[in-house]
Amino acid sequence: MVDVRSLWADAWRRLLKNRLAVAGMVVIGIFLFLALFGRLLTPYDFLAQDLANQLQPPSAAHWLGTDALGRDILSRLLYGARTAAIVAFTTTGISLFLGILIGTTAGFLGGRIDNFLMWLTDVTMSIPGLLMAMLINTALKRPIVGWFDQLYMQTKNPFFLNTLWLDFVLVFGALALISWPGYARLLRGQVLSISGTTYVESARAIGASTMRIMWRHIVPNSMGPLIVAVTAGMGGAIVLESSLSFLGVGIQPPNASWGSMLSESLTMWRTFPHLMVTPAVTIGLILVAFTFFGDGLNDALNPRQTD
Amino acid sequence: MIPYLLSRIFRWSTGLLLVAFVSYAMMFYGAGDPIKRMFMDMEQGGVELDEQALAALRTKFGLDRSFPEQFAGYLGNLVQGDWGMSIRERRPVWDMIKARLPISMQIGLVATLLSVLIGIPAGIFAALNHNRWVDQAIVGSGVFINAIPIFVTAPILLLFLVVGLGIMNVPFGWKGLFHTQVILPMIILALGPLPTIIRQTRAALLEVMSQDYIRTARAKGLTRRLIISRHMLRLVLIPVATSVGLILISLVNGALFIELIFSIPGFGKLTIQGVQQVDYPVIMATVIIGALIVMVGNMLIDLVYPLLDPRITRS
Repeated sequence: MVDVRSLWADAWRRLLKNRLAVAGMVVIGIFLFLALFGRLLTPYDFLAQDLANQLQPPSAAHWLGTDALGRDILSRLLYGARTAAIVAFTTTGISLFLGILIGTTAGFLGGRIDNFLMWLTDVTMSIPGLLMAMLINTALKRPIVGWFDQLYMQTKNPFFLNTLWLDFVLVFGALALISWPGYARLLRGQVLSISGTTYVESARAIGASTMRIMWRHIVPNSMGPLIVAVTAGMGGAIVLESSLSFLGVGIQPPNASWGSMLSESLTMWRTFPHLMVTPAVTIGLILVAFTFFGDGLNDALNPRQTD
Repeated sequence: MIPYLLSRIFRWSTGLLLVAFVSYAMMFYGAGDPIKRMFMDMEQGGVELDEQALAALRTKFGLDRSFPEQFAGYLGNLVQGDWGMSIRERRPVWDMIKARLPISMQIGLVATLLSVLIGIPAGIFAALNHNRWVDQAIVGSGVFINAIPIFVTAPILLLFLVVGLGIMNVPFGWKGLFHTQVILPMIILALGPLPTIIRQTRAALLEVMSQDYIRTARAKGLTRRLIISRHMLRLVLIPVATSVGLILISLVNGALFIELIFSIPGFGKLTIQGVQQVDYPVIMATVIIGALIVMVGNMLIDLVYPLLDPRITRS
């Protein structure tokens, strides 16, 4: 029997040897599972108010206690996991798409277009992201509300009356518009370094089109760094979403977000510390897990880059 | 040399222009009619508004002109230091910024100093003890500080210091730079750039240590102390200086959180107020000034970079 060793299997083996990375992977796995199925595991609705049981400390009925409106904190935390996961996947997807588009265009075309796109990337990178995200969020709100109203008028589909989704659309837009530059820079660098290799030269010599070289050679060979960047980007999106919600512009009540749970607790943390500790510890745990997992992936996928 | 400097200045000033353009366009198409917004409260209170008077106001403030004309007007005013009028407070935005920005600048400056004074020695110490436990401890705490955002660290620290240890009251508000209340906000703000500084210092020093000329210096019998102070430390400042953009961004972003948590009436608090009250001239001013701070920092570093590292000139 021949021992088949693929590139990915090797990387996987290296990843499993890294204990911190495995711990991070397990935490992220639990996080994703709870984001998907969390609502089925709790008897309470995350919005259900119980005014007779406000601000309860942790108990058998409410494992993490209740908040100022008597809502079960564990249920809200689980719903917040869903919020964080949705935002992480969607904004990373959109900004990855933008970054690949801009980065590969700049790398392939070169010259003035490259100069212009890299100027745009540098400028976007030197704007304090949260300020810009707050501006985008505020400015897009009115037009998007109007647009949803119009869509409802035309289709009579009650989906467009559901304002819970509106916050998500705004957050996706604001976060994607500030987080594409990292991917664009990475992709441009990859295009430039891989274009110079002999296998791309030989592919070009036998007449392969630019698109073919792109999809058969450049994209597969950029996968390692790209996967690492995407992992870091998802952690980054979770930070940005909870930051925006903490500052009161992201996901609005009654929707649950870890950031807004934390900022709601700021008024009464001295008397009811459990309100603050639960979302704070959750955010910290998830972000540390993403960092460990990302570092482990980097060591496993790009073994030539050493510290 | 001169073309390099000019191209850098051109790059960052056009960048700033782009930020101003994007913010203005967002306000122009996103905010709706500012005159309507000004009288929104009255209209909701049941007061009948005179359309003709509103139109007259629009003409008076030049709001009936086209987008390019209005944007050019806004830029012209900016150059003269006029940032427009706050819609909610009915006073010049510049007055509000003049009152708020110095507070954040003072805190930011001390936080930067703190960060540099802790970060550079920590980075050097880690590199000199490469792969030993001190190195791993410093790198590890850097990873933790970097991963956990300020708005999580601050409440946990508060809880620990105020409820857990009971050694302080909740720091609240602004009583000047020399009041003990600003110590905790400053330390928390300094945590933002700290991991970057440690990482850059450590990486730069590790790279220098493997250079041939260090080996030569060691071979000719220089003491360890002399090698470090004469040959290594000079090169450490370069990577720290080049990450000034990152440092400034983390300070501006951090100001939002610490000023909200500790009720400090600074630039960050002004931004949050502007957003909460949907006060577009204020939001635009804060975004443009935030970008200005970071871009001027980047530009200055680009300009002094050839002096710090003569190898990188004229390319």
